[in-house]
Amino acid sequence: MTCWRVKAPLTKKNTKKGAFDIMFTELMFFGLAAMTVLGALGLILFKHPMNGAMSFVVTLISLAGLYALLSARLMFLIQLIVYAGAIMSLIIFIIMFLNIQDSDLPDEKGRGMFLLGGAVVITPIAWFLFKIVKSLPGGDTKIIGNGFGGVKEVGLLLFKNWLLPFEIVSILLLVALVGAVVLAGKRGESK
Amino acid sequence: MISNYLTLSVILFSLGILGVISRRNVFTVFMSIEMMLNAANLAFISFSRLHVSMDGQILALMVIAVAAAEASLALAVVILLHKHKGMLDTNIFSLLKG
Repeated sequence: MTCWRVKAPLTKKNTKKGAFDIMFTELMFFGLAAMTVLGALGLILFKHPMNGAMSFVVTLISLAGLYALLSARLMFLIQLIVYAGAIMSLIIFIIMFLNIQDSDLPDEKGRGMFLLGGAVVITPIAWFLFKIVKSLPGGDTKIIGNGFGGVKEVGLLLFKNWLLPFEIVSILLLVALVGAVVLAGKRGESK
Repeated sequence: MISNYLTLSVILFSLGILGVISRRNVFTVFMSIEMMLNAANLAFISFSRLHVSMDGQILALMVIAVAAAEASLALAVVILLHKHKGMLDTNIFSLLKG
């Protein structure tokens, strides 16, 4: 009897804490998902690319939060540093470098109609994909401890099982570097 | 639930396709492509969490590297286009029309 009395509050507390954790991750997920979708809508609805780029940064940062909820620690860091930091600052730098006036922007008067027509085309495909997603087994999304997705584990896997793709990606980056220099340097040479 | 994350990935991908097929600004089209890559990344990482294996995260890492390479080349092309034509309209990408 005493044993049960000691044990009962403990288990109750434990289940309560687990339920609270699950509720917390669910709340975080829905907040971040709402921010992601709002940023994406802003990207495709704003007329000026600068506004679109700013709302796309919101999407990228909330995606990084979602990666953290999926216990992908290294990907969270890389999404923040490489994507939201490096790639987006490159894009925003180019947008500001070109000094875009309103007269440079394409005249998109029928934009709403195009968006509506595109939505009509996309909706069946998206509905099909939703059906597939719902048929998948739904695992729990508790955050895993003991270094899942950490730098050491992912790095070991990258340099053991994925060494050849890693090297091929490095060659791809080199080719892209040379190509960008050739493309952007051509005008200065001919002047 | 993992299916919530995958649903979000499907929504992001559909919005990316919508941006590519219905907008004419070069930058918006380009960032919509980046958004589709991000939706694929989210799906990869969700599946990696579902199967508790880190291969999906490494694929997402590769996708980010490819996106960086693509960004540098695409922005170089956009700068060339803006210098030649002074416009940012995808309708002037018709040099191969003949």
